[in-house]
Amino acid sequence: MTGQPMQVFEVFRREREGGPMQHAGNLLAPDPELAAHYARELYGRRQESVRLWIVPRAAIRDLDDPDLLQPPFDRSFKKPAGYSTEIKRKLAEARARAGGEAGDDEDDDPVVASGRKGVEQG
Amino acid sequence: MTTPTAEQLDRKTRAALAELLLAMADDEFVLGFWDSEWTGIAPVLEEDVAFASLAQDEIGHAQALYRLLTDLQGGDPDRVAFGRRSEEYRHARLLDHPRTDWAFSVARRFLYDTADAARLDALVASAFRPLAEVVAKMRREETYHLLHMHAWMERLANGGDEPRSRLVHALDHLWPDALCVLSGVDDGPLVAAGVLAEPLAAVEQRWLGGLAPVFGRLGLPFPFRRDDDRLEPRTAPPAGCRGPERSDDFRWLWEQFTMVYRSDPEAIW
Repeated sequence: MTGQPMQVFEVFRREREGGPMQHAGNLLAPDPELAAHYARELYGRRQESVRLWIVPRAAIRDLDDPDLLQPPFDRSFKKPAGYSTEIKRKLAEARARAGGEAGDDEDDDPVVASGRKGVEQG
Repeated sequence: MTTPTAEQLDRKTRAALAELLLAMADDEFVLGFWDSEWTGIAPVLEEDVAFASLAQDEIGHAQALYRLLTDLQGGDPDRVAFGRRSEEYRHARLLDHPRTDWAFSVARRFLYDTADAARLDALVASAFRPLAEVVAKMRREETYHLLHMHAWMERLANGGDEPRSRLVHALDHLWPDALCVLSGVDDGPLVAAGVLAEPLAAVEQRWLGGLAPVFGRLGLPFPFRRDDDRLEPRTAPPAGCRGPERSDDFRWLWEQFTMVYRSDPEAIW
């Protein structure tokens, strides 16, 4: 063939203007020029892309060290969801305390309150 | 320049236009079928997908051209494409050769695509607007085809002894028949009516003039000599450039691509 070793190229595609570049897949080619031709055929021939990025895999810095990406300590406080989970837990506790004092914390809920009102009217 | 509708063209020009459309459509159609034969067996998977896609593009161009033809003179595009006898096809002799090896298919497609590009250049401003519109679309796809084929010509020419010798052998074999792509059509009335911008002989000179530096740089066979400003072929193009004599290879291909149609010509797909 061309005498050159084949390299892996990673291909990213944009589906429509304004959309993000997303990983499409990869291909083998002897050089960037043929890689661009093949990317066009594999990820663009059905008009499914408005832009392609073709990147030699060798140019990608690969990072999968678990000490860096999955450290052992609890990191829930760094996550937005972690924060909201904690807030919900504290709110539930506060409600339970308040409810214990007032006797009927369901009055706080407008849906339940109006439903009860409807029953009284019926 | 006025823009004549098909009805406004005189009988002779209409006949020549029909001849041109059929020749171009058959060129694209037959090349598309030959090159689709690489599906599953191209040198690498990626090239397999790419070459099959290029072949499909040619079938698409043929479909558009057959439609122009049947809009002009009536009939059904599918019947024109599949319903003729093998000797009724009007493709250039360049497309009578089988797929052969990879270098051969690359060389054939390169010669065809570059000649076709020169032909499309002379049609993009055609006074016959329906053709100019189809040609404008075809050129956008052919630009990419040309890049792809240039890439492969370079790689085979500079890819070591075996690829190079196979490419040289293919070109030696194909050059005379390549000259058929820009012949076999009565171009006089078409030029007079502004359907074609220049005679096919001038298109051919433009084609060869563009190829000379490429073949010079790659050191590939280019069997022409300069005669004043013209490039004259060292061997004359063969007689019967667009049939009716056809190779056994083409008859075999015709059997293949008409097989389903012939099984029931009245079927509705």
